[in-house]
Amino acid sequence: MTPDTLVSFEGVVKRFGGFVAVQRLDFEIRKGEFLAIMGSSGCGKTTTLRMLAGLEAPSEGVIRLSGQPVNDLPTWRRDTPMVWQSLALFPFLNVRENVEFALKMRGTPKAERRRRAEQWLERMHIGEFAERNISQLSGGQRQRVALARSLVVEPEILLLDEPLSALDAALKVRMQSVLKNLQRETGITFVYVTHSQSEAFSMADRVVIMSRGKIEQIGTPQDIYRRPGTRFVAEFLGSSNIFQGTLARDAQGGSALETPLGSFATENITGLEAGAQATMTVLDTKTHLAAERPAGERNVLAARMIGEEFVGSVATIYLEAAGGQEIRVQKGHDQLAALPLEIGRELFVHWNPADAHIIAEA
Amino acid sequence: MSAHDPNRNRTVDRGLMIYLVLAYAFVFAPIAASFVFSFNSDRFPSLPLGSFTLDWYRAVADDPLVWSGARNTFIVGVIVGVISTLLGFGAAYTDYRYKFAGKQVYLALALLPPTIPVIILGLAMLAYLSRINLSGNALSVIISHVVVCAPFAMAIIRLRLSQMDPALEPAAWNLGASEWAAMRHVILPFCAPAIFGALFITMALSFDEFAVAWFVSGLNETLPVKVLGFLQGQVSPRINAIGTFVFILSMTLVILAQLLLSRRDARPADEE
Amino acid sequence: MRRPISLYGLTFSLPLLIWQVLFFVFPLLFLVALSFWTVKNFALRPGFDTVNWTTIYGRAVFWQAYGTTLALAAAASVLTTVLAFPAAYAIAFKLSDTARRWAVFLMVIPFFTSYLVRVYSWQIFLSDNGIFNAILGWIGLGPFAMLNTPGATMMGYLTLSYPLVVLLQVFSLTFIDRTLIEAAHNLRCGRLRTVFEVIIPSARTGLVIAALFCFILSFGDFVSPVYLGGGKPTTLSILITDTTKSGQQWPRAAVIALSMIGTLMIVAFTAVTFAYRGKTK
Repeated sequence: MTPDTLVSFEGVVKRFGGFVAVQRLDFEIRKGEFLAIMGSSGCGKTTTLRMLAGLEAPSEGVIRLSGQPVNDLPTWRRDTPMVWQSLALFPFLNVRENVEFALKMRGTPKAERRRRAEQWLERMHIGEFAERNISQLSGGQRQRVALARSLVVEPEILLLDEPLSALDAALKVRMQSVLKNLQRETGITFVYVTHSQSEAFSMADRVVIMSRGKIEQIGTPQDIYRRPGTRFVAEFLGSSNIFQGTLARDAQGGSALETPLGSFATENITGLEAGAQATMTVLDTKTHLAAERPAGERNVLAARMIGEEFVGSVATIYLEAAGGQEIRVQKGHDQLAALPLEIGRELFVHWNPADAHIIAEA
Repeated sequence: MSAHDPNRNRTVDRGLMIYLVLAYAFVFAPIAASFVFSFNSDRFPSLPLGSFTLDWYRAVADDPLVWSGARNTFIVGVIVGVISTLLGFGAAYTDYRYKFAGKQVYLALALLPPTIPVIILGLAMLAYLSRINLSGNALSVIISHVVVCAPFAMAIIRLRLSQMDPALEPAAWNLGASEWAAMRHVILPFCAPAIFGALFITMALSFDEFAVAWFVSGLNETLPVKVLGFLQGQVSPRINAIGTFVFILSMTLVILAQLLLSRRDARPADEE
Repeated sequence: MRRPISLYGLTFSLPLLIWQVLFFVFPLLFLVALSFWTVKNFALRPGFDTVNWTTIYGRAVFWQAYGTTLALAAAASVLTTVLAFPAAYAIAFKLSDTARRWAVFLMVIPFFTSYLVRVYSWQIFLSDNGIFNAILGWIGLGPFAMLNTPGATMMGYLTLSYPLVVLLQVFSLTFIDRTLIEAAHNLRCGRLRTVFEVIIPSARTGLVIAALFCFILSFGDFVSPVYLGGGKPTTLSILITDTTKSGQQWPRAAVIALSMIGTLMIVAFTAVTFAYRGKTK
């Protein structure tokens, strides 16, 4: 444990009856970081957050908060406020009373808690709604009330359980920058659970990717995006083309992955022996298209175009290689203008060996 | 007028509406007749109506037995309402919050009593309560009414709890409220309308639960028992006066309960 | 969080449990014990004697009352179900949302009026010089004896359970997926056939449960058989009251009461099995 560790999970397991929700978690959360825990539903991310909040008790292992084990501490004795997916604002209290709630529970004098609540309402730009009922607020305003309600005790850590999932797309993006700025200004550690890649990657300093109760990868968004640690991560992110095969030395003394679709050169095989089973991932933005087989390229794959999709100025071309494997190529419109894009036409996909990433598992 | 909908048959619709009116006529005929004849002068109520009179109300008001019966009914009703609501709230919260072995049995005990015919329940109660020296007084009436009324209180409050965001109580704990504090500051305020609704409805039910009372109660007659006395002895239109009075009282409680239960986002009055 | 039930939890769950065990379970268990006690010189003697069971079950009057009560309650269930259905159907499918809310509210009102007062009111309608005979008299008919007949008892049973049955039917009808009905129409199933082929099968559970409640209420009722039926024919509830009044025969009344509970349990079990048959749960 390093001095800047705020939370540590040590061999934490959570079982519900016979179902193992979380199996052996070992990781640390650093002071002042914005950590996103990401995964599809049922991966154990919310259970992990709830254990940290003290809403679920670990079946095995220890959770430490600032070095102290907190397993036996009920949630109301931990300072781990949470922003809930449903927001869980108290409908029978007005905005100010909601924000004052935690202070009231701590026995803060009335004048003091009122002052601090109003301060936070101002900070969240909802001071004018202090006396309103929750039902009279818009989705974004409620979000701000929920944040103020949790932050009013000025905790060291704030837990967020998919708080933006109910908002529309535009508001989501606005709230993302509100959250990121808030975290930067206050220096409070944010632990943010989400299934949305865009939320996690746009806000977090580090991302934890979970699947079936296990951590698949921890790293910065850049790291995870460029160098997915496992085949699962690559598939989950969905932004890479994935090839499986066996590592081999090629004639020039370089490395290549022998796949059913051909032999693809790579440069990134540190620590791997020839003959090992491996997976190659290539970001769809790093793959290129040509109408004729390009000369001088090491990694070329013939594939038939099966569809296209446009989002804004970016196009994704879907192709099918031998054996039915789907290949995606993402490009700006201008880069595609010269190509004969017709469904059913054979095109050539190619990529630079330096852009291929190798995962040591098949 | 909108165009005629070919999927609807006007004759059938009209027939159904007439049937519906007749159904309500059947349901309300005895209630309405009781109301009308409570102001009718004839000793043996029939058509044509006699003249308008308040004699029956006067006769009832002059009968000291009726007054003591009314007082007993009211006291019993209030106590039954309070105890039933407390027990019902506890059971509803238990069902909402906890999972435990034997919960099915617990829920059966909490909800089954109203399905046992009152005559059997009354017989069992009277035999049992007299055995443990509790029969023949207001206490025995209260005990037996609560057995039947608590399930209704539980059902009403459970319904309210199921409308609550399940994250609300954990959110309170998470913000530093102990279980007791969360109960006081979150669960109770949220359930307040249903708690008062249940209180009024169980009170109203108690007013009408005459059969159990008839078996169980000895000297301390409650109002419905008094009504039964009229029926067994001389039939008198005074029963209409009492019936109308009890009806108005019950309906006031039910409408109060209805208003409370349908109010959205009700705020508790006691919070500073 | 799911923790083992704590002092906090017990504070809420125990009171009702204790109350219902003490004052609901124990009285019913006591009734069982009581049925084996004996009566000597108008005083109860604890013991274990099957004499009450053999006496009651050996009496023709018990079996007559049993048959009568069963038949009356069954008839009431069928009659109430049939008479309630068109009203429930109209409320569920033919009224606007607002009108439906009002209709439901109106059907709830009778629960808060004294059943006894309503039964007395029917006496005003049914007696020899009551309202019905007065009206019939104006057109030169009658008077007919309507009070103190099994028909009057049935009227009382209807008064008791009609609102409840309508409400339960309305609830089960409003839960039917409307697209099922439209799909049936779309497949050339006519209006009336849709009622029998789609709506009634879809609402079967609710309809059967509603009829079951009517059976339970009618089977145990003693107000209507006494004050509208005139005590004739004798039902089990009348038998119970008579038995307790005559010579302190509580143990025999207990036998009758237990027989009623047993019958109700069998009927309820059969009805619930039928109601949920073929439903995956």
